[in-house]
Amino acid sequence: MDIIIQALINGLLTGSYYGLAALGLTIVFGVIKVINFAHGSLLMVGMFAAYWMVRLTGWHPYAALIVVVPLLFLFGYALQGILIKPILEGQRDVREPTEVIIVTTGVWYILDNLALMIFGAEYRVVQTSISGQIFMLGDYIFPKAQLYGLITTAVTAGLVLWFLKYTRTGMSIRAASLDRDAASLMGINQYRVYNIAFGIGAMIAGIVGCVLIPFYYVFPTVGVIFDVKCFIIVVLGGLGSIPGALAGGVIVGLIESTFSQYMTSTWTELIVYVVFLAVLFIRPAGLFGEKRDW
Amino acid sequence: MNTGIQKRKTIDTTLKVLLVLFVFTVPLWVTSPTTLQILIFLFLYAYLTTTWNLVGGFAGVLPLGHSAYVGIGAYTSTVLFISYGVSPWIGMWAGGLIAAIVGIIIGIPTLKLRGAYFALSTMAFGEGVRVLVENTMQLGPFNINGPRGICVPLIPGNNIAAFQFLSKVPYYYIILVMLCVVLFITWYISRIRPGYYLAAGGEEPEAAQSLGVNVAKYKVWAMGLSCFLTALGGTFLAQLALYFYPKQILGLDFSFELAFIALIGGRGTIAGPVVGALILRPVSELTRIYLSAVLPGLHLVIFGLVLILVMLYQPKGLVGPLEKLYNWFLNKVSGTEKEVRT
Amino acid sequence: MALLEINNVSKHFGGLKAVDQVSMSIEKGQIYGLIGPNGAGKSTLFNCVAGTYGPTLGAIIYSGKDITGWKPWDICKLGIARTFQIVKPFQTKTVLYNTMVGAFIRTSNRSEAEDRSMEVLKSFKLADKAHTLAKNLTIADRKRLEVARAMATEPEMLLLDECMAGLRPNEVDQTLDEIRLIRDRGITIFMIEHIMRAIMSVSDRITVIQFGRKIMDGTPQEVAKDERVIKAYLGESYAAA
Repeated sequence: MDIIIQALINGLLTGSYYGLAALGLTIVFGVIKVINFAHGSLLMVGMFAAYWMVRLTGWHPYAALIVVVPLLFLFGYALQGILIKPILEGQRDVREPTEVIIVTTGVWYILDNLALMIFGAEYRVVQTSISGQIFMLGDYIFPKAQLYGLITTAVTAGLVLWFLKYTRTGMSIRAASLDRDAASLMGINQYRVYNIAFGIGAMIAGIVGCVLIPFYYVFPTVGVIFDVKCFIIVVLGGLGSIPGALAGGVIVGLIESTFSQYMTSTWTELIVYVVFLAVLFIRPAGLFGEKRDW
Repeated sequence: MNTGIQKRKTIDTTLKVLLVLFVFTVPLWVTSPTTLQILIFLFLYAYLTTTWNLVGGFAGVLPLGHSAYVGIGAYTSTVLFISYGVSPWIGMWAGGLIAAIVGIIIGIPTLKLRGAYFALSTMAFGEGVRVLVENTMQLGPFNINGPRGICVPLIPGNNIAAFQFLSKVPYYYIILVMLCVVLFITWYISRIRPGYYLAAGGEEPEAAQSLGVNVAKYKVWAMGLSCFLTALGGTFLAQLALYFYPKQILGLDFSFELAFIALIGGRGTIAGPVVGALILRPVSELTRIYLSAVLPGLHLVIFGLVLILVMLYQPKGLVGPLEKLYNWFLNKVSGTEKEVRT
Repeated sequence: MALLEINNVSKHFGGLKAVDQVSMSIEKGQIYGLIGPNGAGKSTLFNCVAGTYGPTLGAIIYSGKDITGWKPWDICKLGIARTFQIVKPFQTKTVLYNTMVGAFIRTSNRSEAEDRSMEVLKSFKLADKAHTLAKNLTIADRKRLEVARAMATEPEMLLLDECMAGLRPNEVDQTLDEIRLIRDRGITIFMIEHIMRAIMSVSDRITVIQFGRKIMDGTPQEVAKDERVIKAYLGESYAAA
């Protein structure tokens, strides 16, 4: 029993940073209606940025947020403004411009391989002040770094929801996500809104980077691992849905942690795919997605 | 009809006939097995992207897990050959059938949804198949050997029934004929009702439905046909390489490569995937060979840049400008001023 | 017997009653108008008839057949064609290709579909643009293509959703002539229109709806005089001002 509860705790902790990673992806999708295939690479960039911050300054990994968050926001903002905007402008009549998927995949290849050229292929770890520390609640172990990750996820998701609901920019993002033509008629500069949404997506990837640094390896293709996971999570939860991304993340985390009690981790990976396909058949639009959505 | 147009037509036909003759006589004067092998792979890629294009181009969706079907084809024919001695020529049809059924089953729930779901679902499915194969040593009566992959047992000498040849020439002709057949199928479909319905449903599903098109049904059939033909290519790949393993034949990279070749060439066109393979394969091979020794990763940075530039400046693919160039050339040599519709 | 019978049809979206117990019956050969202020539920009712979604309650009977909840493609095969308020041409395809998609519903033969399409295009004065890409058409031509494409399915009944919105006055007159010509070929027309002058001059009978409910139906003269209708529209014009 204790083992199961501990496994559930681990699953929740892991699932929270999965969910946070997926949150950035789902926000971008919600607004622009295209998948950002470079999301995992942005996460990798965030991880390297946090890694070097901690490594060079010896700061607490969460202090690195001060630099990493604005850096990634600007990066995402510029990426959308420079590379994706011209495509959206050219494909005004297309509902889901697949060209964006390809461009973001190009960005993925470039970022991952630039990282490979600059930093080499080795796996890096950095010792931070919270690495390896634990917090005990009764008999149950909470690794501190992951517990902070859970809190960060909750705070970030809360802030994002608040931002979308109560700020002027947030409201224009939601308006543009409902109907991009109508929103632009209402005087919303849709491309600025897209830039901001993309910036937020990248910024969240940066936050995940800082969260992961104390307990995760950094390497150039680390993003790919999260890419596939995030895709599964957002489809599970329903593309564009914020609660869906968080719930999907926790579900995947729980599956991995509980099943790993009984089988090797490669098999738990398979279970995730099986659950994914099962959900696809039972509720194709995902747990929180709209049912009929062309 | 003026003489210029007549002349233009003659030149056009002559060039096309010459091209076909050229392609079919290559093994007569190219004897180097390495060169032939490169050409064979080129055609194999053209074949696989053309079959991808049946659903990815004409049905207007973005399948990102087609390596699963290549793998199904390769594994099915090979395990049947190993376990029961079934000729790969027969095994390939079994593989195609399984791939078609799997593709249809995956397509039914996902093709009804927004395109992004389909793209992500096919991708996750492809990865799921890879993970499954990598973790399975024994699948029912068949030994698939997990992550290490399997070898096609060698049969000494040329053996037509075993789909094994010492020379590269038979492989060259087999894949060339296969490529011609799928090009013909693509061309034929684009001219009949299902082709019109697929294209219409891909572009404006609601409008197509209101004109009497059961959009999802046509997409599902296209998916089935595409997966079937893709699996046949998988068997060919298995017989050509005689050894394959999950990371290579079922990998995400492979799926992406197939999609991107078609997209860069020009999705939804007949020649697009072939053009894409003809341009991209040599570029990616050469940059890989010459640059990866200098700076690992540089060739993929270049590939990424090419992807972005093509999408920014030729989002409909390279086949469009090439066609223009060819028409310009025809007009130049035949003296016709204005563009002529063919 | 009426060709199309709408019996107490309601369509709810969550708590919103977009269409609330609307009934009407359309005779064969009529031009039947459906009017009402913005958001009255006209397009929703159209979508219920065309099968985009099934009505929450009520039944739709077409020449004696209950077609409630049928799929759009089956309804089209039965002989009801529709156009969209926001036109949806197949942008990257030619005008001819667009109409051929429609024509293929009655034949699987390509050249037959092409011949029929060309005939339709001729009658809509689009024949000389047959090989133009749809995305290069003017707004007026796109609207005309939308109708031509629906006509290529050889319908008995045509649902026109604001096919004149955004057109210049002379183009509206031209479209009205075309609508009359379609009717003269024995095709029943059920249309939504905002341009009062147009719908009043062409309709045999009109139903007015507001807030999802039917206010009245009658001849154009009756509708024009009706106090409730005037109020519904005046209210709207005040709001707009």
